[in-house]
Amino acid sequence: MTDLVRVTVDEREVHVPKGTGLVETALAAGIEIPVFCYEPRLGPPVGACRMCLVEIEGMPKLQAACTLTAADGMVVHTARTSAKAADGQDATLEFILVNHPLDCPVCDKGGECPLQDLTFRYGPGNTRMSFEKLTFEKPIPISPAISLDRERCILCYRCTRFSETVSEDGQLVARNRGAMSVITTFEDEPYGGPFTGNVTELCPVGALLPTQYRFEGRPWEITNVPTVCGMCPVGCNVNATVREGKVKRILSRNHPEVDEGWICDKGRFGFTHLRADDRVVDPIKRIRRRGFEPVSWDEAVDEAERLLRASHGRVVVALSGSETVEQAYGLAKLVRVGLDSHEAMLPEEVSPALDAYRAPLSSIAQADVVAVLGDVPLQQTAPIVDLWVRAARRHGARVLTELDEQAIRDAERPVLIWSGPGGRGGLTVAQHAERLGVTSAFSIPSTPNGRGIADAWAAASDAEPVNTESVGLLVVSGDEAANDPNVRALAEKAESVIVISMFHGLAVGWADLVLPGTSYLERDGTYVNLEGRLQRLRRAAVPPAPDELAWLSQLAARFGIELAPYASSVFAELSNKIYGGLPFGEVGERAPLRGYAEAPAHVEAPPLPEAEAAGDGLRLVCYKPLFSGPAVERVEELQFQRPPAEVELTRADADARGIAGGATVTVSHNGTSVRLRARIAKDLPAGTVRIAREHAGDLRGRVEVRA
Amino acid sequence: MAAEAQPALVLGGAEEHPLRDLTSYRAVGGYAQLEKARAMPPGEVVRLLIESNLRGRGGAFFPTGRKASFIPTPDKIAKPVYITANADESEPGTFKDREIMLRVPHRLVEGCLIAAHAIQSTSVFIYIRGEYSAEYEVLQAAVDEAQRAGLMGEVTIVVHRGAGAYICGEETALLESLEGKRGQPRSKPPFPAIEGVYASPTLINNVETITTIPVVLQVGPEEFAQIGVPPDSTGTRVFCLSGNVVRPGPYERPHGITVRELIYDIGGGIADGRELKAVMVGGSSFPVMTPDEIDTKLDATSLGQKGLFIGSGVVTAIDDRACIVQFALRVAQFYMHESCGKCTPCRVGTRWLVQLLRAVENGTATEHDLEVLLDVCDRIIGKCLCVLGDSAAMPVASCVTKFRDEFQAHLEHGGCPFGADSSLDRLFAPVDQHHLAPVAHEAGV
Amino acid sequence: MSLRTEIEKVARRYPSSKSAILPALRLAQEQYGWLSREALEEVGDALDLTPAYCMSVASFYDMFNLEPAGRHTIEVCTNVCCGLVNAQAVLEAFELELGVAPGETTADGEITLRAVECLGGCSTPTIVAVDHRYRQSVTPEDAPAIVQELRGG
Repeated sequence: MTDLVRVTVDEREVHVPKGTGLVETALAAGIEIPVFCYEPRLGPPVGACRMCLVEIEGMPKLQAACTLTAADGMVVHTARTSAKAADGQDATLEFILVNHPLDCPVCDKGGECPLQDLTFRYGPGNTRMSFEKLTFEKPIPISPAISLDRERCILCYRCTRFSETVSEDGQLVARNRGAMSVITTFEDEPYGGPFTGNVTELCPVGALLPTQYRFEGRPWEITNVPTVCGMCPVGCNVNATVREGKVKRILSRNHPEVDEGWICDKGRFGFTHLRADDRVVDPIKRIRRRGFEPVSWDEAVDEAERLLRASHGRVVVALSGSETVEQAYGLAKLVRVGLDSHEAMLPEEVSPALDAYRAPLSSIAQADVVAVLGDVPLQQTAPIVDLWVRAARRHGARVLTELDEQAIRDAERPVLIWSGPGGRGGLTVAQHAERLGVTSAFSIPSTPNGRGIADAWAAASDAEPVNTESVGLLVVSGDEAANDPNVRALAEKAESVIVISMFHGLAVGWADLVLPGTSYLERDGTYVNLEGRLQRLRRAAVPPAPDELAWLSQLAARFGIELAPYASSVFAELSNKIYGGLPFGEVGERAPLRGYAEAPAHVEAPPLPEAEAAGDGLRLVCYKPLFSGPAVERVEELQFQRPPAEVELTRADADARGIAGGATVTVSHNGTSVRLRARIAKDLPAGTVRIAREHAGDLRGRVEVRA
Repeated sequence: MAAEAQPALVLGGAEEHPLRDLTSYRAVGGYAQLEKARAMPPGEVVRLLIESNLRGRGGAFFPTGRKASFIPTPDKIAKPVYITANADESEPGTFKDREIMLRVPHRLVEGCLIAAHAIQSTSVFIYIRGEYSAEYEVLQAAVDEAQRAGLMGEVTIVVHRGAGAYICGEETALLESLEGKRGQPRSKPPFPAIEGVYASPTLINNVETITTIPVVLQVGPEEFAQIGVPPDSTGTRVFCLSGNVVRPGPYERPHGITVRELIYDIGGGIADGRELKAVMVGGSSFPVMTPDEIDTKLDATSLGQKGLFIGSGVVTAIDDRACIVQFALRVAQFYMHESCGKCTPCRVGTRWLVQLLRAVENGTATEHDLEVLLDVCDRIIGKCLCVLGDSAAMPVASCVTKFRDEFQAHLEHGGCPFGADSSLDRLFAPVDQHHLAPVAHEAGV
Repeated sequence: MSLRTEIEKVARRYPSSKSAILPALRLAQEQYGWLSREALEEVGDALDLTPAYCMSVASFYDMFNLEPAGRHTIEVCTNVCCGLVNAQAVLEAFELELGVAPGETTADGEITLRAVECLGGCSTPTIVAVDHRYRQSVTPEDAPAIVQELRGG
């Protein structure tokens, strides 16, 4: 129990733990001290904007409250009880407004703007400035996704501090000094990286704004629908800004344990895939000798029934891992109970092994040793986890990239994270955790709801799949599955194929029946994230075609299966089986991390995989980059973030082959080869190269790289 | 002790020729104090400094010994402690540190080494302004010479060159710049004595202050404390006399000589038969002095009683050719150029002051603008992250208050009544150079 | 010694290599003439800092050229102490002699003229830093000779 100290703020007495910041101390007394530059997530306070000036008894000058901490006996007077402080805050606002353009009528921030709000409450009603304001070319795109208006900028430095101390990309910086200071990137280079969009939420004025939202709406015309992002297994809590039924913007909803208020750019800017040109809005049926034609839903359901029956129980369902738990369960119930067919192609291995090591992501920041294992950077697989690891390092943690067993055993609060292939659904890292006495471990899945769909599939029936030689019907659920070469290969062998997809480009051409898919933003339901946290999705926009549960329930009825078309009902049925009867309405707005009903204390497991025998050449690691996939490919503002055709290798390996960074090289394996640009990576172990899966062609295993 | 009778101490030995090399410095007793200090316990050196009441010569006038006593001893802290010598001298009118480094560089080195012993530090950084190229070479040569002569002991002295930013003379901005960042000041607390450079305890002192440390040991703290104007303004200062005087120059004298003495007796009076109009005292960062105040003694207390400051020992005589509005404008332009841009009132306020003063100078300002000008000064003072804001507002406000008639005359005349005759007429300021504005923006304000 | 090696050598003098950014930028500017894109990338590479960061730091300080500059610089102090004596006249003499305004470089790329803030030589006005070396007590009449000296005459 920390010491409490007594502080008086505007004659109200509060007791707070010693060392509490004064802004929070005042809040504890129910008093707001206005701020601009103060944001605890950005590191120690800087006291730059001077908005939070207060009078402290015993100190002759006004003080920036954000820079001070509570001390016993402190007496604070805010603008409410101190004319001097009120005048100081009025002065700050007057100075800010001296150069601030009168853009409110055309500025997207209007109505949600702290500068407007604080000026109204604490600032002057008139201007005394009669000279020329500082003008700039505006707005300028600092990236296709973000525009910068330097006239509106109040130089609070929140954005540059984010770039320097949170995302640590060091790309968004201040240039010049004094009144000539501007925010900029290097030369004309766009601000790129997984986290850039967060500056648009941090910016307290309309200086950094998303281009997607430019002139798209006013705060009184919109609704913010609380939901969860479905782009990666972190499941950041978001608000989908909706206007007239369309999603216009994604904002963070700040779950302190999951995302701390940050979102990655894929989750933030990727929503425009909902409006892709090639969005499938009607079912499409292959008509022999006529190609593909849209058909009515009645016809589509009939055809689906026909295909299912014709398969004689030899149905294989390929899941994407982006289905909601309810959708996966619905599909499972239909196929497993309705057709007694039990074969599924799961997108990844899933294991309950990590259930014994559950911890919230925020616990990473408190660790003293963090081991990040595996060969794929966290920024590609679960970006927000990368931010947590950086936070840990800033708090003094040692971040290891190898399994230093002694360091882990000696640590007081160690955390293991597996990012990369070979995780075996968490089994690998769970075994390490058990052996080394670590209580918090994470394994990064490759799909947003891999665990959820696997459990939902398993819950539908206890029967084992029968090994069938032939595939009567392949049901491809979701775009990621439709995009998977392994699934396509199986489709060639199947007698018939149904594809549930959002995009024409993916599904039409090889399916017998295409049923329109929906996005996570268009569904009600639940997801299980990489922590094992069950989270609630809410429908932000009505999809252009019926939700999957709607037609699944119709289809199920044809096979005598009762399946409700509502996520809440489906969840209720499933919850009794695997979530301990948790009611749908109690999943939670900021869902807690619940233990699983039966968390195995110890996991029987096959032995750890042998370290790969060294061979000739270099070990190839393929990975799915963050800015890849069918959704991202359809987002104009993210095209500049698509991964360049590169092969990453260590400096040592490059030097040994006479390869300079940036040179074009040939990467070959067993007769196939690919030309790529070489990039020197600092985070690879020697003897390993890394290529984005979409650029790797047929390369696999061990490769050689030549200039 | 009478002003004339006090021999030079800080610049002692270098009256005729600079003492750049070790041999000539040793010939006047150089490094004897270092030896003496090293024979004492570190705490004893600190105590002597406290007893002397030596105060910072950089402008803040903080007691040096007390500052050193804030540095934790090794038993209290596991981190190394650092010393930074502030050789960023950029206050307009100031050139004493340059003189010290050119003429008695070894005395500065000796002072650094004594200070290092006093706080048990082995790492000294001398942050020297980038423009001082020749001075850097002389100083580095002295450091190298001391190194070769085995005088350093465990201590390393790194001479770190700045690159042109007045704000880096502010102690926390200096630390930021030394750490490799933009030189923007930090909020205090934490104070440098606890968390300075590299998050470690750091003692920061001005060059003249450090160079006075061997002097304190040489004359003895009690004796030192008798020189000047005890109890607060002890010892000598290297005053910087400049402007419209016959004999500008560095003059080391005890605290307590009057401005009149410095300008007229030592400096030969106002040049070209002109009259004194105003005096810039302490540097451009402080209120100006009017001629009726020139019998004020140059010590912190006497000046303080008049609302003035000793600053960095600057005394710049302004004669009656100079338009005070132009003077105020040029001063404001300096601060606008040098503002680091971190805090709102200084970043915006310094530019607004320049705009207002330009309007006064052009004759386009109104009575209301003068009120706004004074109010803007008031709204800057005491509200900023560091003292640069105050340093802009104080002198400007003092010009308006003390020379109100002249400001008024500009309004009535619809322009500068001096026409082209002012010595400061059309004086071009760096803020108006285009290379400072890389984005689509007209040069000038 | 390559620029990278020089920078690494300087960096070893400091507990944190980031502290070497000012000396590194100075070395790079000496080599490239100004802090071009390449120069900033090289500094960043040597110190493991982003070029954006290097540019941000460089742009804070007056002595770094983020645009091409002349091979020589003539910097005239125009702060108040020199101003009270003859700084403006000295500056104008150089403007006339060089045919450029303050902040500009002569057409042949040889000489950049600048007005600068107090150089710390107030007792010998006007101070002019010629290639960063101080000339003291400069008068307008001295301008032609100084320029000629730089032009190799």
